[in-house]
Amino acid sequence: MDLERFRERFGDKVKIDKNILTLADKKDLIRVVKFVSKYFDVLYMLIVVHRPPKFELNYIFSRYQDQEIIQIKVEISDKENIASISNVFKSAEWEEREAYDMFGIVFRDHPDLRRILLPEDWPGHPMRKDFVVTEEIKHWTGLDLKF
Amino acid sequence: MKVDDAVPNEFSYPGLGEIFITNTRKFINKVLSWGRANSLWPLTFGTSCCAIEMMVYGATKVDADRLGNLFIGDSPRQADMIFVSGTITKKMARRLLTVYQQMPAPKYVVAVGACNISGGLFWDSYNVIDGIDRIMPVDVYIPGCPPRPEQFLDAVKVLQKLINENKTRGGVYGPREI
Repeated sequence: MDLERFRERFGDKVKIDKNILTLADKKDLIRVVKFVSKYFDVLYMLIVVHRPPKFELNYIFSRYQDQEIIQIKVEISDKENIASISNVFKSAEWEEREAYDMFGIVFRDHPDLRRILLPEDWPGHPMRKDFVVTEEIKHWTGLDLKF
Repeated sequence: MKVDDAVPNEFSYPGLGEIFITNTRKFINKVLSWGRANSLWPLTFGTSCCAIEMMVYGATKVDADRLGNLFIGDSPRQADMIFVSGTITKKMARRLLTVYQQMPAPKYVVAVGACNISGGLFWDSYNVIDGIDRIMPVDVYIPGCPPRPEQFLDAVKVLQKLINENKTRGGVYGPREI
């Protein structure tokens, strides 16, 4: 996989460093991912890092024929939302649900944006830096029990 | 006359029938708790590593069957007790309670491992129930992370003793409010 193709196609919209593509603008995400999907089969993982006041989203793609890996890095503000890539890579659906669950990132045009790991009525998004585990949250059961 | 006096009075002498009549409830309770204590069919609720030890407990080396603790029907409807073995997350708590409510009334709970007693490693976590005694009445606790299979044997012995002495928390009629 020669990364020159990306340089030709997107010019200075993408910054290329080894196999990490850093997008300058989040609006290009779908276009870049569609281009990536010509050469890569699998969305390996979606890693989200919270660096207040920004979220750093790392989409890592891989393919079956060799061990090539490519990473797309997008930065958004933690109040913004971002387009879902589940139209292009179907497996992104659950990855994005997890990102929504843990960080509260809203993905636009997602078919089924619900929580995936935590209960549906759980208060807050635990992986955010401004989230504090209080006694109330620690003892929350979501059950009406008199014990 | 002296011979008549020597004959014991039938009514003052505690015959077998009298014991039955006066102590019927006590006797029936004794028989019931003897039966309950010696045929504890467990429901295996394994969510993590404690479940592996529970399997060893059911296997031949540490034989569960000799205490009448038969791993037969893994259904809540046929179970007398439940081994809650493994970390209970907040999402799982509701499922555990649903399973618990499906069990017929004389039901006993054994909390296996550190996670079920106090939260264990995850005592500080946002997503783990810190002690299942906050959601259901627990009769016996097995400490350890994970506990040895022999400790399960001991726990069942303790539970049998508690049932015989009528000291279980779930009791005959189940928990008070659930």
